[in-house]
Amino acid sequence: MEQDAQLVQQCLQGDGSAWEELVRRHSRRIFNICYRFTGNGTEAEDLSQEVFLRVYRTLGTYRSAHGGFATWVTSVTRNLLIDHYRRTKRDRVTDSLDDAMPVVENKESAGRRPDEQVLLGELSSQVQSALTKLSPELREAVILRDLQQLEYVEIQRVLSVPEGTVKSRINRGRIELARVLQQMGVRPS
Amino acid sequence: MIWTCEQTEARLSDYLDGVLSGAEQTAFDAHVNTCQRCTALVAGVSHLVTDLHSMEQIEPPPRLVYSILDKTLGPREAASGWRGLLGLVRGVAAIRFAYGALSVVATLIIFLTAAGFNWRKPRLADLQPATIYLNADRGVHLMYARSAKFVSDLRVVNEIQSRLRQESEIPETPESTVPQPSIEKQPGRTDRSQPATPKQQNRANGISRGMEFLALALPATCNLNSVFIARRLP
Repeated sequence: MEQDAQLVQQCLQGDGSAWEELVRRHSRRIFNICYRFTGNGTEAEDLSQEVFLRVYRTLGTYRSAHGGFATWVTSVTRNLLIDHYRRTKRDRVTDSLDDAMPVVENKESAGRRPDEQVLLGELSSQVQSALTKLSPELREAVILRDLQQLEYVEIQRVLSVPEGTVKSRINRGRIELARVLQQMGVRPS
Repeated sequence: MIWTCEQTEARLSDYLDGVLSGAEQTAFDAHVNTCQRCTALVAGVSHLVTDLHSMEQIEPPPRLVYSILDKTLGPREAASGWRGLLGLVRGVAAIRFAYGALSVVATLIIFLTAAGFNWRKPRLADLQPATIYLNADRGVHLMYARSAKFVSDLRVVNEIQSRLRQESEIPETPESTVPQPSIEKQPGRTDRSQPATPKQQNRANGISRGMEFLALALPATCNLNSVFIARRLP
């Protein structure tokens, strides 16, 4: 964390290599959050670029006293993902879990490229499909807690909601995800 | 404490995190053990969380970092002047580049040596494709001939060794070491009752030639002996 803060200071002084180091340190994690949220590699790549562009432009507003750089970047990512979700209509279809499940499921699996299928394992692919069927609030909570393994306090900072809400979303998200997987015929290992 | 299905759902993550109080934990367990629906729910979510935690991170495409850097810092301009030279030196100094360059040089040396390039007197003409082909062809034939000779030499050595081994393995019993007279190999007779075999005849000829040589040398010694004998006599 201290190293991140130091790199940010160097960036603000115009050190390009410090910015490059920051990008290398955090791009993988941000790409994963975007990928888990959208379920699409190309969208995740574009969104990751947008995230870092926004971070680069607003780097001067970062205050280490308010939390780690990683939490701040994750917060920027989350806001951008929500914006992206609101912009796109396709995800709205998956918002309601009561929609025609098989049709949506087929569309999802058909839309995924073969290299992405290879990228994910079978279970991972099924979980990914199920994740995209959750509402964005529940989806982001599960991704941050169970896939990125953030602490409740960090998630609270990222989502800017009370801890009780964080826990409630995570709990509901897990239960919904288990139900979706059950409806998909996936048995947990 | 009365525990309901709604409570089980609401406190499921607390149960998984192990933050329920003692009484809550007891009530939770008691309810789940008796409620089939809640048993399935707890088992499903519990396994799901385990699966989620075991899922590995996905590797982003390698171009992602460069795309971000291009978008933020702008496309990288080619450095000019001493900065470009410094960058070049920095690149060359990288271990990976050094290994690569070394392997390329080693490959070139091996290739040119095999093509018959003379390193002591290098000529540009030796680098012409036709010359390289001819030299390589000659080299291959030479190598083949040397290999064939080497194999032949090895065969001879092997043969000699095997013969020596055979001789050393013959048992040294008195019966076998003492030459037994053979009826067929009896020495020939001069009265022509049993003529000698050609080999015996040759040996006999050799002996007679030796005797003739001795006969030529003997008169001098005989003369000396006669002188000594004469002196001793009173």
